[in-house]
Amino acid sequence: MLLQLNHIYKWVKQGGKRVFLLNDISLDVEEGEFISIMGPSGSGKSTLLNVIGMLDEFQEGEYMFLDESVHTLKEKHRSKLYKEYIGFVFQAYHLIDELTVYENIETPLLYKNIKSSERKALVADMLDRFNIVGKKDLFPAQLSGGQQQLVGIARALIAKPKLILADEPTGNLNSKQGEEIMELFKELNQEGVTIIQATHSESNAAYGNRIIHLLDGSKQHQASN
Amino acid sequence: MIRNYIKIAWRNIWNNKLFSAINIISLAIGLSAAFVIGLMVYYEFTFDTFHQNGDRMYRVVSDFETPQGDMKNGGVTPPMRLAVREELTGIEQSAYFFNWWISESKAASSEQIFKDPEKIILTQASYFGLFQYKWIAGSKETALQKPNQVVLTRKRALEYFPNLPLTAVMGQTIEYNADIQAVVSGIVEDFDKRSDFFFDEFVSLETAKQTESKDQILSDSWGMTNNASQLYIKISEHSTAAQIKSQLLALSEQHVDADMIKYNNKRTFNLQPLADLHFDQEYGVYDYSRPEANKNILISLIFIAIFLLLLGSINFINLNTAQATQRAKEIGIRKTLGSSKIQLIVQFLGETFLLTLLAALSSVILSILALKVFDDFIPNGVDATLMVSPWFAGLVLGLITILTFLSGFYPGLVLSRFKPSRALKGELIRSENKGSLRKVLTVSQFVIAQVFVTATLLVSKQIYFMMHSDLGFRTDAVAYLQTPWEDQKVDKRLVLEQEITNLPGVSRISLGGMPPASHNMATRMGIYKTENQEVIQELQVLNGDGDYLDVYNIDILAGRKPLNDTIEEYIINETGMQAFGFHNPEDIVGKYIELNSNKRLIVGVMKDFKQRSLKTGIVPLVLTGDTGRERRTNFRTVHLVLGDKASGWSGTLAQIEQVYKKIYPGEDFKMTFLDQTIANFYEQEQRIASLLNWATGLSVLISCLGLLGLVIHTTERRNKEIGIRKVLGASLVQLNLLLCRDFLKLVLLAYLISVPLAWWGLHNWLQDYTYKTEMSWWIFALSGIGMVVLALAIMSFKTLRTALRNPVESLRTE
Repeated sequence: MLLQLNHIYKWVKQGGKRVFLLNDISLDVEEGEFISIMGPSGSGKSTLLNVIGMLDEFQEGEYMFLDESVHTLKEKHRSKLYKEYIGFVFQAYHLIDELTVYENIETPLLYKNIKSSERKALVADMLDRFNIVGKKDLFPAQLSGGQQQLVGIARALIAKPKLILADEPTGNLNSKQGEEIMELFKELNQEGVTIIQATHSESNAAYGNRIIHLLDGSKQHQASN
Repeated sequence: MIRNYIKIAWRNIWNNKLFSAINIISLAIGLSAAFVIGLMVYYEFTFDTFHQNGDRMYRVVSDFETPQGDMKNGGVTPPMRLAVREELTGIEQSAYFFNWWISESKAASSEQIFKDPEKIILTQASYFGLFQYKWIAGSKETALQKPNQVVLTRKRALEYFPNLPLTAVMGQTIEYNADIQAVVSGIVEDFDKRSDFFFDEFVSLETAKQTESKDQILSDSWGMTNNASQLYIKISEHSTAAQIKSQLLALSEQHVDADMIKYNNKRTFNLQPLADLHFDQEYGVYDYSRPEANKNILISLIFIAIFLLLLGSINFINLNTAQATQRAKEIGIRKTLGSSKIQLIVQFLGETFLLTLLAALSSVILSILALKVFDDFIPNGVDATLMVSPWFAGLVLGLITILTFLSGFYPGLVLSRFKPSRALKGELIRSENKGSLRKVLTVSQFVIAQVFVTATLLVSKQIYFMMHSDLGFRTDAVAYLQTPWEDQKVDKRLVLEQEITNLPGVSRISLGGMPPASHNMATRMGIYKTENQEVIQELQVLNGDGDYLDVYNIDILAGRKPLNDTIEEYIINETGMQAFGFHNPEDIVGKYIELNSNKRLIVGVMKDFKQRSLKTGIVPLVLTGDTGRERRTNFRTVHLVLGDKASGWSGTLAQIEQVYKKIYPGEDFKMTFLDQTIANFYEQEQRIASLLNWATGLSVLISCLGLLGLVIHTTERRNKEIGIRKVLGASLVQLNLLLCRDFLKLVLLAYLISVPLAWWGLHNWLQDYTYKTEMSWWIFALSGIGMVVLALAIMSFKTLRTALRNPVESLRTE
């Protein structure tokens, strides 16, 4: 078992009333799964991903990640946990504009205090694997959307995470680029990386081996397979 | 990691050129000021710190209490030099010397005459025992044993004997005042460290017996104190200054003489630590040409530097927190990639460090320039070479570190606090940070700037007031010509006066002593006795012939002028008349005042005029003729009123110089305009004013740069709003007002806070002046209006451009 969510509630107060962002979400994820989370805008997909990624907190419920109870961990421990095991891919890529492709991919390694020689080798491997060696000195603004997302994925993978969280990874891409990215995810999944993606698109969702439907922060059970 | 930080810091600096420039300029101004001022402080505080056991060295000084007030004298009565050795205990070493002012000196083997040579003292071997010099030739034990011996410093030896090797200088003869000779018996190195003991020529004390002032130098009488007689002691290890002081007190009680009792004077001997010497304002040091080292001015300077640094820091904090939104995305990403808060803070501190470093590097260059620009203000010895010292390196590093933390820590803290999930979505926690800290900081900035502006206006007003107020005598078109002081006779001067009178460009002339307002005033005790009481009053004495009062347009209120130039008859001023208890000018005419135990007749009363700067009030004064003419004349200055300026003063001055050179060939021609003399009274005020001008200019500059940065930032963010408003029909003025309003409020608030602060500070400053200018309301109004107008102008630079933009564009880009 990679992670387990038990009865997670998250809400904000609006005019004295609770508005639920996540409403009683329970979810078990095994290693090697590829899960798609679907739902309309505002249904809580991103919030759920943020909670799983430990970027957001929740008010009630339990969250176990590799048998550690995340909800009781201190901030420092939590960040150590996700630094080690989780990689993020964003719809808007979120590369650092002031850093080159090479430096963007290298950054997570810096935060893990990996030695310079080892960093070089790892980044070189990654550039090689995604066929972007020639672009390593370019800045994000000089790349197309698809290329930027490739860099984003390379960056998410560089620290060898067990879990990749992808929030609408193809949302800003055209269909051909999107397909390539999804193929890449499938490949990664076959290599053993667990992937959870949030998506609007049925066809993208179909790449996953499990689909979770969200509506107004609640899990819809009719479509699980 | 570090390289990555530096790289991104550098790219950030480079991508935001305008903001980086504002930050660097603001910090560099403060740093340059701090560097220059730091050098000055370092320089002034490292005088005479190198003497062996300097902490045990003291100067023996004399304090006087008289009915006219207290006086401090840096000298001692001559017998004291023996008393410290023979009567006092606990003193390890002592050195007595006499500051010897002579009219000329020359090497016997040379023709070159040195006029008014300085830095000569009469002293003994003990001087060299107390103050350690390096001996090039001769020895401290024997060099000053006999009369007519002299020790020179290397520098002085080269001046006297430019063509001789130092070894050949030994045994040469030097002539003083043409009649006293001394043989060079030793040569020492000049002090290579900073010292107030700047003497170059040490003549054996025994030689003093051949001089005119031998009584003063070697007298056995305890009654006289000359501030040229200087005595230094080193107390022994086991005794304390307090012990010596109590012995000195006993000594002063032992030597009370009849005159002191009669005039109700009290003299006490005191000790001044060597460390206090350099900043001394009361007892005097030796180098008169050096501007006084003033601790208060140094402290004000340090405050100015701190203010400027704070202002720069504030800009940094304001601009960086304002820009936070633009960096929010990067922060969000870094956090999701695993950066901790600390790592982010370190990163931002690193960026601040880089900026500060850039500012510091440019400041080092700027301060070298500043040292040149502020040449008249900065002590002569302070130059760029002082920068090459561990002390300066420490100052630079220290300031960089402090500034980095001061400016970088808060923005770093704010930025690192962003929640990544929200920062990435671009929704910033605006409710948490409405920029209230920014407002507080901006207001403080403008309070500082505003106080400076107000102070500048008032100080200038006071200077204008002092220079232009009526002193009670003629000051324009009056000049005076000083004659050589060695000439003790009046004869040549009468010829000079006669010759100048004949010149067509001179309308009035008088021969006399000093002008009515000057720094040098002789005083005498005047006693007025009636049957039942006597009034003792200190009187200033002016000397002048019958035309003196006419040249200076001073009215006589009652009585007459003295009958001739040498008769002992006196005219007194109104203040003097009142001091002796008279209210009606007619009453004092014909009365006798005792001066130097002789009864002297008051023949007239003149109108009061202001004898010195307006800092001090009018003091009792008498005018008389040349009463001591047969011994030495007091008429040493020719006072003259020049004719119409249009007819050309320069021609007249050239003629006067010709006449002068004919009568005094080879002497310097020293002609001074009285208004210039009066302006010189206010040299210190002028220096304060120029300092304030700079402080004001720089603080206003920094504050306005910061304001500009903030306005640019907020205006950029409101592009869309402005576009919509414009489409809806807002005018340019309305838009401009809208954009400036929030900042104008801050400037106005700062103004309101500054008014009482400035009022209080300036009120205190004015207390030093007897004649003060008014603290007019318009000074405060003007400084406020000036600041608001300036702020508006600076802001409009950006806001107008934004408001002028085509709304279609700004709406599309959103």
